[in-house]
Amino acid sequence: MPEQSILIIGGGPAGMEAARGVADLGYRAILVEKRSCLGGMPDEAGYAALTPDFRSASEATAEMVAAIENNANVTIRLNSTVTAATGRLGDFEVTLKNGQTAEKVKAGAVIIATGFQHFDPGRETQQYGYYEFDDVITLVDLEKMLKEHNVVRPSNGQPPERLCFIQCVGSRDRQIGNEYCSKVCCGVASKEAIEVRQQLPNCKVFIFYIDMRMYGYWENLIYWPAQEKYKVSYIKGIATEIMKKGDRLLVRGEDTTMGRPMEVPMDIVVLSVGMESSAGTREMAQIFGLKQNKYKFIETIGGALNTVTTNVEGVFVCGAATGPADLEDTVSSANAAAMKALAAVQRTQRLAG
Amino acid sequence: MALDLSGKQYAQVPFEEKQRLFNEVKADFRFDEYLYGCYECGVCVAACPSARFYDFSPRKIAQTAAREDVDLFYVFLNDSIWDCSQCFSCDRCPRQNSPGGLITVMREVAVKNGLASAQEALEGYGRIVYKIMSTGTQVSPDMLQPNAFPDWGPHVKEISNNLDVWRRALPPETLHTTETGWAVDDKTVIELYLIWHMTGVMDIIKEVDEGLFMILQDVMEERLEEAGYDASFN
Repeated sequence: MPEQSILIIGGGPAGMEAARGVADLGYRAILVEKRSCLGGMPDEAGYAALTPDFRSASEATAEMVAAIENNANVTIRLNSTVTAATGRLGDFEVTLKNGQTAEKVKAGAVIIATGFQHFDPGRETQQYGYYEFDDVITLVDLEKMLKEHNVVRPSNGQPPERLCFIQCVGSRDRQIGNEYCSKVCCGVASKEAIEVRQQLPNCKVFIFYIDMRMYGYWENLIYWPAQEKYKVSYIKGIATEIMKKGDRLLVRGEDTTMGRPMEVPMDIVVLSVGMESSAGTREMAQIFGLKQNKYKFIETIGGALNTVTTNVEGVFVCGAATGPADLEDTVSSANAAAMKALAAVQRTQRLAG
Repeated sequence: MALDLSGKQYAQVPFEEKQRLFNEVKADFRFDEYLYGCYECGVCVAACPSARFYDFSPRKIAQTAAREDVDLFYVFLNDSIWDCSQCFSCDRCPRQNSPGGLITVMREVAVKNGLASAQEALEGYGRIVYKIMSTGTQVSPDMLQPNAFPDWGPHVKEISNNLDVWRRALPPETLHTTETGWAVDDKTVIELYLIWHMTGVMDIIKEVDEGLFMILQDVMEERLEEAGYDASFN
């Protein structure tokens, strides 16, 4: 009799939603998370409000956790990592490690939901001085400040009078190697820009961009209000470097649509860092023998019509483990992965029966 | 000549003054429906006839106001808004902005504040303003004289030499208004003068053209006093 349980690796939004999907259909989900709690990146990085609906990230995470935490169909393994895997569709045996303790679990299919990591702006984009200037921060750093309602210049603790975002840091760059668009940063930066204007009405906020990519309803949920209601200035042109001038930062770039060079003082510069494959995603690709694309995200083999199937039968992938994804993409692909994993297991069962 | 967008030419104007003028434009009741946010897409420039002939961009004016770039706004307030032909072709904006409408508001602010650019732009129209304000009628064809329209180019002189012949060559009657155009009912003229005074138009004229103001004042004073009004308006 083939094993029917679905092993889900990663306790972020993708993994939690996949586990809920499996459980809702009446099957057993085993959810493995390396941290001591569920929640994934929104929890780990301390997101304040979600894009695009400004819902509290903690509240949304709590709701997702509640749906699986005391669910008889969901077994949760915290502080655990996957260290080895053998077998095939209908008969996987996966080794989990919790500290020194190893445990082998059986699963009919596996869903990888190991997500992404934020681009480290000190790695390649040295000209932005992330590790040099206190007042150069990232979207993630600002998110924490917004959550605490304490947006201040790290250098002196004073609220900023001028703050700017620089888009596409670590994305869309052949020299860095990340040629892809990280999809979410335009929306997240605009959302944070609105929140800064709400919390500090006297602070001028600028967004320096290459293209604003605010698909579908994000346009009028975030972009238009940011510009029209909150008077965020969008300037097409990416800063080439950031320098120190007095106790302020000087951002150099071109105001392309105005056709003139630009040198503007700023109190805080926020780098809109993109997404890269997480260490967990890369490790799982090794352990399960999954094909990765050149950016080390896990490749799906179905093209546009199948966004969750990998080259290994019985192993599926969802969320940002496949590439940059917003929350809407993530929960959608999580449910698709749950459905396809169960369908695969049942097909095996029928053949065996 | 290319418009200097560095703002250096107005570096001596205090920022507070630029901000005051910007705030005046922003406070206009039409501002919010003339300007939402700007994609900087350029559809307004593509549609703009003036942009073909001048270094003029309704986009740059709209985006500057949307960005609240006060220094650059001051450059446009002085150097660009008079290049607009106010045809409103720019109203095809996907964000429903009206750059032309914004320019209307900016022109009004420039005139009310007697900016040098407004004085210069209106210089060639003194005769027209005089005619409209003193008689309530429009320009009559015989007014097409080089001294009346210094900015209409050298061909005005040539045309004015034989204006009567040119006009008569046109099939419809065009010269009849030269006489009737000056004849307006007394009561209407008096009401018009009162409107100019009471709505602040005379104050605006005083800001942009002191000479014209004095001529108009003379003409109006006499007729208003005849009609029993105190024309000093002090």
